[in-house]
Amino acid sequence: MSLLTDLGERLKALVFRRRQERELQEEFLFHVERETAERIRLGAAPEAARREARLAFGGVEQYKEAVRDARGIRPLEDLGADLRYAVRSLRRNPGFSATVVLVLGLGLGASTAVFSIMDSVVLAELPYPDPGGLVVVSEKNSPTNIWNISTADAVAIREQQRSFSAWGEVSRMEAALSGAGTPEHVILGRVSAGFFKALGVPAARGRLIEERDEAAEAAAVLVVSHRLAEEKLGGPARALGRSLTLDGVSHEVVGVLPPGRTDMGGVRAAAWTTLKLPAPVRRGPFWLRGVARLKEGVTLDMAAADLAGISARILPLWNDFRDSVARLTPAPLRERIVGRADRQVGLFAGGVLLVLLLAITNVATLVLVRASAREPEVAMRVMLGASRGRIARLLLTENLLLTMMAGALGLLLAWLGLKLAVAQLPDLPRIQNAALDWRAVSVALAAALAAGVLVSLSPIAGGGGEIGRSPARADTRRTGAGRRSNAVRSALVTVEFALALPLLVMAGLLLNSFVRLSRVDPGFDPYGVVATRIALPAAGYPGDSERARFWIQVEQRLGQMPGVDGSGLASDIPPDSPGTNNFNLVDHPVPTGQSEPTTPWYEATPGYFEAMGIPLLDGRMFTPADTVDPVVIVSRAWARRYFPNQRAVGRQLISGGCYDCPRTTIIGVVGDVKNLGLAQSEEAVYDPIGPALARSLQVVVRSNAGTGASLRALRELVHGLDPDLPVRESVIAERFDDTLDDPRRWTAVLGAFAAVGTSLAALGIFGLMSYVVRQRRREIGVRLALGAQPGMVTRFVIARGMRYAAAGSAAGLVVTLLAVGRLRTLLFEVSPTDLMTIGAVAVLLLGVALVACWLPGRRAARIKPLEAISTE
Amino acid sequence: MPPDSSDLLQGTLELLVLKALSLAPLHGWGIGHRIDQLSRNAFRVQQGSLYPALQRMLRKGWIRSEWRTTENHRRARYYLLTRAGRKQLEAETEAWERASGAINGILKTRPSEHPA
Repeated sequence: MSLLTDLGERLKALVFRRRQERELQEEFLFHVERETAERIRLGAAPEAARREARLAFGGVEQYKEAVRDARGIRPLEDLGADLRYAVRSLRRNPGFSATVVLVLGLGLGASTAVFSIMDSVVLAELPYPDPGGLVVVSEKNSPTNIWNISTADAVAIREQQRSFSAWGEVSRMEAALSGAGTPEHVILGRVSAGFFKALGVPAARGRLIEERDEAAEAAAVLVVSHRLAEEKLGGPARALGRSLTLDGVSHEVVGVLPPGRTDMGGVRAAAWTTLKLPAPVRRGPFWLRGVARLKEGVTLDMAAADLAGISARILPLWNDFRDSVARLTPAPLRERIVGRADRQVGLFAGGVLLVLLLAITNVATLVLVRASAREPEVAMRVMLGASRGRIARLLLTENLLLTMMAGALGLLLAWLGLKLAVAQLPDLPRIQNAALDWRAVSVALAAALAAGVLVSLSPIAGGGGEIGRSPARADTRRTGAGRRSNAVRSALVTVEFALALPLLVMAGLLLNSFVRLSRVDPGFDPYGVVATRIALPAAGYPGDSERARFWIQVEQRLGQMPGVDGSGLASDIPPDSPGTNNFNLVDHPVPTGQSEPTTPWYEATPGYFEAMGIPLLDGRMFTPADTVDPVVIVSRAWARRYFPNQRAVGRQLISGGCYDCPRTTIIGVVGDVKNLGLAQSEEAVYDPIGPALARSLQVVVRSNAGTGASLRALRELVHGLDPDLPVRESVIAERFDDTLDDPRRWTAVLGAFAAVGTSLAALGIFGLMSYVVRQRRREIGVRLALGAQPGMVTRFVIARGMRYAAAGSAAGLVVTLLAVGRLRTLLFEVSPTDLMTIGAVAVLLLGVALVACWLPGRRAARIKPLEAISTE
Repeated sequence: MPPDSSDLLQGTLELLVLKALSLAPLHGWGIGHRIDQLSRNAFRVQQGSLYPALQRMLRKGWIRSEWRTTENHRRARYYLLTRAGRKQLEAETEAWERASGAINGILKTRPSEHPA
């Protein structure tokens, strides 16, 4: 109650401040008049009565102040006055204010955007209930060699595991969605009921895949993403009960996922259908991802021991897989999803932090320089009785106002930056969730606040003399600023160089790596080559003979296309990741119980090599007869690794751990191709496309008709054979260029950071040396008057500035060498301590510093001695 | 003036103001005049010191103010006791009486009654 009145009175005092002042004046006047009248009534002379009345009242101004104090809004009033003063003084100096707001705003904006990205990509919890209990189960035989699990593994885990409260498998595939407009490819997740149960996310409408769907005779059902329901089914409300045709099979839609759920357990898919596991006939192939939820109280180690036991028990059951080192291994789901993004975002964040620190240092320098320019004004205030604390508060208010404005600008920039990042870095996991939330906003404002305080510390503490300096020494033009504040200024500039160098080194290394990457020879001639993947649905092409007829027709018609220089079929084309297979060399078998080597494994027709321009280096090409006895062609890198200094042609291997199968003979060696993307190894084994023709193949054509015409002809060819087949064309040269996109973006981002950092450092040293020249104008004038050469003056200024730049760069070099090892995994054929790069970058930075020092140095040399001395 | 005695004085001044206003609404000069009358000039304070005290009491919600016209047709700010102020006056009067009673008792103790 009384608290409310208190607040009300204070509020009134604040809002009606002027009226209250007027009323106070009126009230006091009335009092004195009334007292005078009273005294006259008691017999005093009017003059004397007035005087006595005033005396009895006491000091009017003093009591006015006391009443104002009693209103309880004093601190606020002072703040208001400080703010008004700050706004006035910043407006007087628009250049300074704009620079500070811009520099700091950029730094804050970038770091806020990066904070949001880190938050959603790296730090955020996975969007599942109790996400810490979710694990992915894989096969693993070394810290880096991790692969999927097989049907046999999954069945064994289902029967024997004691660690999980829910267990499911998932496999991703492409399917042709038809029946609704043009046929198109969609990504389909095939899951067992346990998959959704483990993740614990309920359906928004309808139901998820359940155990009854896994029965062999159960009808085909589909759970669709919210987006697919909107795009194809007229909204989630109308989706249930509709049917969609996938690869020619009709599926009933039984459920819709909540909006925003585009990936489940790290698998991105448009729709989900039932995975019906067949009974295993051998240990491989390894094609499933296991997802499980740990039971209450079960640790990752306990689950690992449980799964290791299962691995050991099933190893003797199958003869096609003899790797006794391989273990079924659980890993936290989070680790599998976030994975490499950790390091990329870490690099990004490191760069941004450096830029922010540079921005703050730079602003601190600016504020310091300004503080000394204002020394006479401050001294005047001290002389007029302002306390040190009051002046410090004034400066703090001013700086906080500036940094808060920068914070607001930063938020705007962060918002724009985030939109850009989400569009430009789509491959970062979970980046779609990145948004400016209240935490990002508070981080930005807290950073702005901290920057304001830090920046204020420099003139308040560092150059303490500048604030409390005795008024008698106010004329700094004559005496020069204190040694201490100059030391702080130089230290700040040195720090800027120490921050800029690591940024430049990072950018330099990435650029170097990028250049090397783009110069890599892909091993074939990608120009004029186009391709399309065609997947034959099981419904229209149930058996080997139907599929074989289709592919043979495709090959025939390809040969008749005008302008074609070569054409063929392959399971995968560069730069896609192909399947891998394990093998054992007959001449050098691995010891029993050890892991067999694995290598990328393709299927291809002879025409494929011709179309891609991959040369045959040794042996012979596939012939139609090769489908009887197993043969393979290997790449030169593979041959060199497994048969160093020997001829590989004619050697034999056992493929896929199939010890009962006939041995496979190597019949030829072809040139190396950068199959897995430019930075990857070139080892490869090619199988001829055999009688069991694949369901899904890439059709490759080299043509001189131009890519547009070739793509059109290819599409017509496929639709001429089957109008329901979705066609997804690609131009190989573009696909290779796409693999450069990621490094190109990182290089561009870091390059931009480095450019900003270098500019800030240059601005800093330019500001410092300009200040030094201004400060010593008179001294320089005297020297020139006494006959000093202008060149000497310039050299003196440059030498002094370069001392700071060099010291800072040296310190930055130490920091760089300590931290740069973390870049290793992002670099291609460049060592993180590459001397050429670091040297070039250091020369560049010092060169920029030289120019930044030379400008004020030249100005110093042009000082006119007479003017300099007389105008003081 | 040492702060404790000024606190005492301030508390007393507020009590006197409350008492003065409990009889009728008054303007600032009127309050001072009334206190002089009631105390037979025992409290000699500068008249201006009344106003900060009034401002504090406004914030505490014991009194409120409004502009009225005096009998001489002048505009003046009158202060009125609120309900909270009346309660405060009662509480303070009671506390004062208890305290002054105790002090009076002590002061009237004769040496022979003092416990050995």
